[in-house]
Amino acid sequence: MKETWRLIDMRIEDAPTQMAIDEAIAMARLKENTPNTVRLYRWNPSAVSIGYFQSVEKEVNLPACEEHGVDVIRRITGGGAVYHDYEGEITYSVVAPESDPKMPADILESYELICGAIANGLATLGVEAEFKPVNDIVAGGKKISGNAQTRRHGVVLQHGTVLVDSDIKRMFQVLRVSDAKISDKLIQAVEDRVTNLRRYLGRGVGFDEARKALIKGFEDTFDVALQPGELTAAENQLVKRLHDKYSSREWVFQR
Amino acid sequence: MKRAEYKIPGGKLLAAELDVEGDRMIGVKITGDFFMHPETSIIELEKALEGSPTADLEGTVKRFFRENDVTLFGIHVEDFVKVVRMALES
Repeated sequence: MKETWRLIDMRIEDAPTQMAIDEAIAMARLKENTPNTVRLYRWNPSAVSIGYFQSVEKEVNLPACEEHGVDVIRRITGGGAVYHDYEGEITYSVVAPESDPKMPADILESYELICGAIANGLATLGVEAEFKPVNDIVAGGKKISGNAQTRRHGVVLQHGTVLVDSDIKRMFQVLRVSDAKISDKLIQAVEDRVTNLRRYLGRGVGFDEARKALIKGFEDTFDVALQPGELTAAENQLVKRLHDKYSSREWVFQR
Repeated sequence: MKRAEYKIPGGKLLAAELDVEGDRMIGVKITGDFFMHPETSIIELEKALEGSPTADLEGTVKRFFRENDVTLFGIHVEDFVKVVRMALES
């Protein structure tokens, strides 16, 4: 019989809640003996997440976020700034112990495997995507997914973004790209580097279709069955506590 | 304030800002889109650099990584030395 991992499927929450859930699952995994978990989720309101080491002022156009009702949050993971467009993006996360036989001890290999799950999922939609070190997935040479991993509490936590139909113009209003103005020329340059499922496939892909593809990608790659489930009471307690951290100005503006 | 930005081969961006007082650096802040676990080690690294002699930059950084259990991904110890040196020379 196939090993079962928990699937927490397409919860729609605000930025502090999403980041609190990912961290809570990682904290509880060994302490509470919870299952390995894959999450798929969307951010409402749309949000910019920045990497742990990034400067919020340098990476984010704060007045533009304010104007457009876009949340700003700092992740516990490193990596770059991401615009999580409620209408055009799916985020995934995966948590498994570092000692799990299915999880490579080597960091690059584990990125390769998890990003491979995303790429395999996208392949079922007709997207030829591949892992591009350090932490990207590209399709047709353009970035379609960015990923970030940390290891703590004896577990691997990786989360990442899959661009479905993101508003690229808005993306570059809320992210600070040097001091360059958002001109048509700049957006053109961005479109040469970034893509999404709609643009790549030349057709709209619904969230349900994308979600099914990603689930299949994880199941096939890790040779597991994803079983829909919920957070445990212990995890929910942690989420409550961590939510306060993530929504604090002290956390978001720490660097 | 002195400041430098450095694009690490492979794609990650690293920045440092600091001030110099006499022969020591103060207010050292390191930012970027690299990976380092545990993540809070960056605060410890900044503390190690705080008030340290500019002349011993390389020694301070290397000692920090020798004495602490830190995993780097997309970045190397030498990159931290390089970006802080670039800030010092800016």
